Amino acid sequence: MFYLNLMVNGVVEGLIIGLAALALNLVFAVGRFPNAASGDFMTIGAYAGYSVQQLGSHSALVQGLAAVAASVAVSLASYALVFRHLVGRSMVAPLLASIGLGLFYRSIVSLLFGLDPLFFVMPPIHAYTVAGLRLQGTDLWLATLAAASVAIVLLLLHVTPIGREMRAVADNALLARASGIRSRRVMIALWSMVGAITGIAGLVVALRTTVNPELGWGLLLPAFAAAVLGGVGSPAGAILAGLLLGVMQELSTPWLGFSYKIALSFVVLTVVLLVRPQGLFGTAQVVR
Amino acid sequence: MNNSRRQFVRHGSFAALALAMAARVPAAFAQSGENLRIGALNDVTGAGSPYGGGMQKAILMAADEINATGGAGGRRIEVFAEDSQTAPDAGVLAAKKLIEVNKVHAILGTWSSGVAAAVMPLTDAAGIIHCTNAGASNITSSKGLMFRYSALSVRIGQALAREIAKRGHTRLATMAFNNPSGREITGGAKQGWEKLGRQLVGEVVYEPNRPSYRSEVQTILANNPDAIVLGGYLPDFTVILRETRQAGSNVKFYAPAWAVNQKLIDALGAPACEGVMTHDYVAALDSTAYKTFVDKFKKATGIDPTENYYACCAYDMMTVVGLAAQAAGGKPAIAPMMRAVANPPGTMMYDFVSGKKALAAGTKINYEGASGPIDFDDLGNVKPLFKLSEVRNGKVELVGNAFQDY
Amino acid sequence: MLAYLVAVAIVIGIYALLTISLDLQYGFTGLVNFGQVAFYALGAYASALTALATHSVALGFVAAIVVAAIAALPIGALALRLREDYLAIVTLGFSEVVRLVLLNEEKLTGGGLGLTGIPRPFANLGPGAAEIAYLALVVACNIVVVLIVRRVTRSPFGRLIRAIRDNEVTVASLGKSPPAAKVKTLVLGAAIAGLAGALYAHYITFVTPDQYLPVVTFYVWMASILGGVSTLRGAIAGAAVLVLILEGTRFVRDFFPSILAVQMASVRLALVGLALVLFVLYRPQGVFGRALPR
Repeated sequence: MFYLNLMVNGVVEGLIIGLAALALNLVFAVGRFPNAASGDFMTIGAYAGYSVQQLGSHSALVQGLAAVAASVAVSLASYALVFRHLVGRSMVAPLLASIGLGLFYRSIVSLLFGLDPLFFVMPPIHAYTVAGLRLQGTDLWLATLAAASVAIVLLLLHVTPIGREMRAVADNALLARASGIRSRRVMIALWSMVGAITGIAGLVVALRTTVNPELGWGLLLPAFAAAVLGGVGSPAGAILAGLLLGVMQELSTPWLGFSYKIALSFVVLTVVLLVRPQGLFGTAQVVR
Repeated sequence: MNNSRRQFVRHGSFAALALAMAARVPAAFAQSGENLRIGALNDVTGAGSPYGGGMQKAILMAADEINATGGAGGRRIEVFAEDSQTAPDAGVLAAKKLIEVNKVHAILGTWSSGVAAAVMPLTDAAGIIHCTNAGASNITSSKGLMFRYSALSVRIGQALAREIAKRGHTRLATMAFNNPSGREITGGAKQGWEKLGRQLVGEVVYEPNRPSYRSEVQTILANNPDAIVLGGYLPDFTVILRETRQAGSNVKFYAPAWAVNQKLIDALGAPACEGVMTHDYVAALDSTAYKTFVDKFKKATGIDPTENYYACCAYDMMTVVGLAAQAAGGKPAIAPMMRAVANPPGTMMYDFVSGKKALAAGTKINYEGASGPIDFDDLGNVKPLFKLSEVRNGKVELVGNAFQDY
Repeated sequence: MLAYLVAVAIVIGIYALLTISLDLQYGFTGLVNFGQVAFYALGAYASALTALATHSVALGFVAAIVVAAIAALPIGALALRLREDYLAIVTLGFSEVVRLVLLNEEKLTGGGLGLTGIPRPFANLGPGAAEIAYLALVVACNIVVVLIVRRVTRSPFGRLIRAIRDNEVTVASLGKSPPAAKVKTLVLGAAIAGLAGALYAHYITFVTPDQYLPVVTFYVWMASILGGVSTLRGAIAGAAVLVLILEGTRFVRDFFPSILAVQMASVRLALVGLALVLFVLYRPQGVFGRALPR
């Protein structure tokens, strides 16, 4: 039962990692580079939601909308001002730029809000205990939210025209352009999606813990590991990989301890890249 | 900062240095020795910022008082204020500047263990006094130049363990933030508990900034502790307390004062925080020194120092150094005089003015400060008083007596 | 005043070594190393532990170089098998794992408290002279490293690694072995970073895991990009600008007293991030570099 509860904890953490990995995966596939600023999009979303609460609104919906709006704005701005101009350069360029952007966003946030962690007002809510298994009401809500996000993303990608275009660009950018797909529209759709996902993820993390400038950066490594494990090009894979990673991390704690469980992501990441670079569900990638 | 301060306070910068030197007003009292230069190296920004700013102001205030009487041992006090940023690297650079550029005779007011541990070898190498509030046990001076105005973290933990046993708990567990402060508080608690012949029922070390502490909480609750000593900070404690209550446990937490305050209660609501215990130093609440200090500090800064025990300590640091300099009669060797003016036996003194008068009359004095009795043991540590408080109905209230036996 | 400037110069010298090391790995060989701080940390701790045990600073320096170089071998193996962005992520993870180990293996590393009282060379010269002597040591290390790197990059080996950076397939088809060359460069770069770590540890006289956060790697990347990745002149210039940002903000407050000191830390980070973005966007070859054919 102890382990089962650890697993449940892992599922919950894994969903958050999965959401962050989803955002990473999308940019990896369509934008073709790892976006190290994803974590900081999350952080900004969290602060936006917090500001809304400070202004008096305790509605999760309003906070969520604010978080999404802020992250989308930052995401689109990052694309328009920086990433757009780095198309055609080697992958290291947007990667480095995303690192720099991340540092910059983190510093702006701490200038505006200070370095101290801030708290949402969130009194404890009792868990439901079903046969020794502890289920938190907020977590069920979170699970639904994550599942809904994945469903919406999959829907958008496979059913809508813009989604089809995104997938085309992901498969073969040159061919896509040749067939008349306007990359500007696709990119705007991509970065908006990325912003929405990271905004939600950031708010959820902040609700469960604290709002602080390092919020997103701390999740980056597990998110990368999950993105790679799931396989670039598979949104559902990102979420599943996140779950897997989350559960593995928590189950490992009796042996690894809470400090080293974070190292597990690194090990997983490395092993996957060496053994099965396309991840669990991804398309064959040029990894070398 | 008003202009009269300018004479005594320098920021670590070239421009300000030049300006300040130009603005210096000639001293109005006899200079029988060179100025007593003090480095106020405080955690004004960074994790120590709740305390560092107040500490620096307290040192300045004490220095002003001393200079108003004509100085200590005929020497005027010159304070050089630096911000360590609660970062060892920045602290070391600041200390180097204080020691090598400003040539200070003492460094006062380090607070975080990281900064103090880094600065300690520098002050020892330079042969100057280092007065600190840092609690880590590896901060010691091989030359007897370290004076700690608060308790070692380890001792706090030991004292807690005894109190917890006295209160009838039998199953103790510890949770530690993975840094020296957290680890030493819980380490001390473990030592104290084992000295009583008991064993801990759980120990967890946790990392900062985790997206959840669910598993950590689950692990610590696995063996049904009835009390948990937590060495950590407000952000992580908020999450851990929430997770613990959500798990349905009413285990009694004993957490440091900086982790239990109104912010915690606002975030979690009064019911969740009910019964949480916190430990803190109690400044010598009944002492004249404390009362006068509080009034003076409020007037000078507008802030109530009762929230900032360390500001009281910083005030005492400057005052004791001043008294020691006075007792040294203007000669440079101050360190040997520190215990002479602060430890018993001697006539109890509560401020610099009376202390100076008594010393001039040849009396042996025993300074009792705003932060406590200030009696240094052989290693340079004092034995402060602790108090326990409990959160009741959304307010932090004192319970029981202050304890000092550990 | 002089003592402070000497201290700043020492820090510049140490960052210059780190930047040279990164330039060698990325600028000349195209290896994207986001885990530079790991070698810096390993060098610092190796030197500290050795010097504390043997009381020999020289042995400490040797240990630093050796340990960092050995640690680079598995990373080298990974670098052979991974594309640049994946290598970046993996090296980032590696540096975090190293930091976690340093934080948690207390019996060896002192854990969060770290190691203090690390022996300082020249301690018997007295404070002022010791500092200047240390600066001389740092400058000497820089000169030696620059000479070595110059030798390496102008040699046939150097032409090889530059060719690898520009077109790996061709080089392989010519029968030269990219893998061995890449690993050698990585190891040399790591050794230099390890030396920098030792210099820093013996200067500050204490090490804690907090000094080796990933952001240090990105400080060095900024210095590298800003100065120009393929030029040694650029490395030193970049390091100087970096230290100017890190230390210079200390003085800004005297001209703008309304800015709180706590905000200065954020300003420092903002400047580093902004510099990185702007240079990548508008002048990727840095101040001193020639425009790269990318």
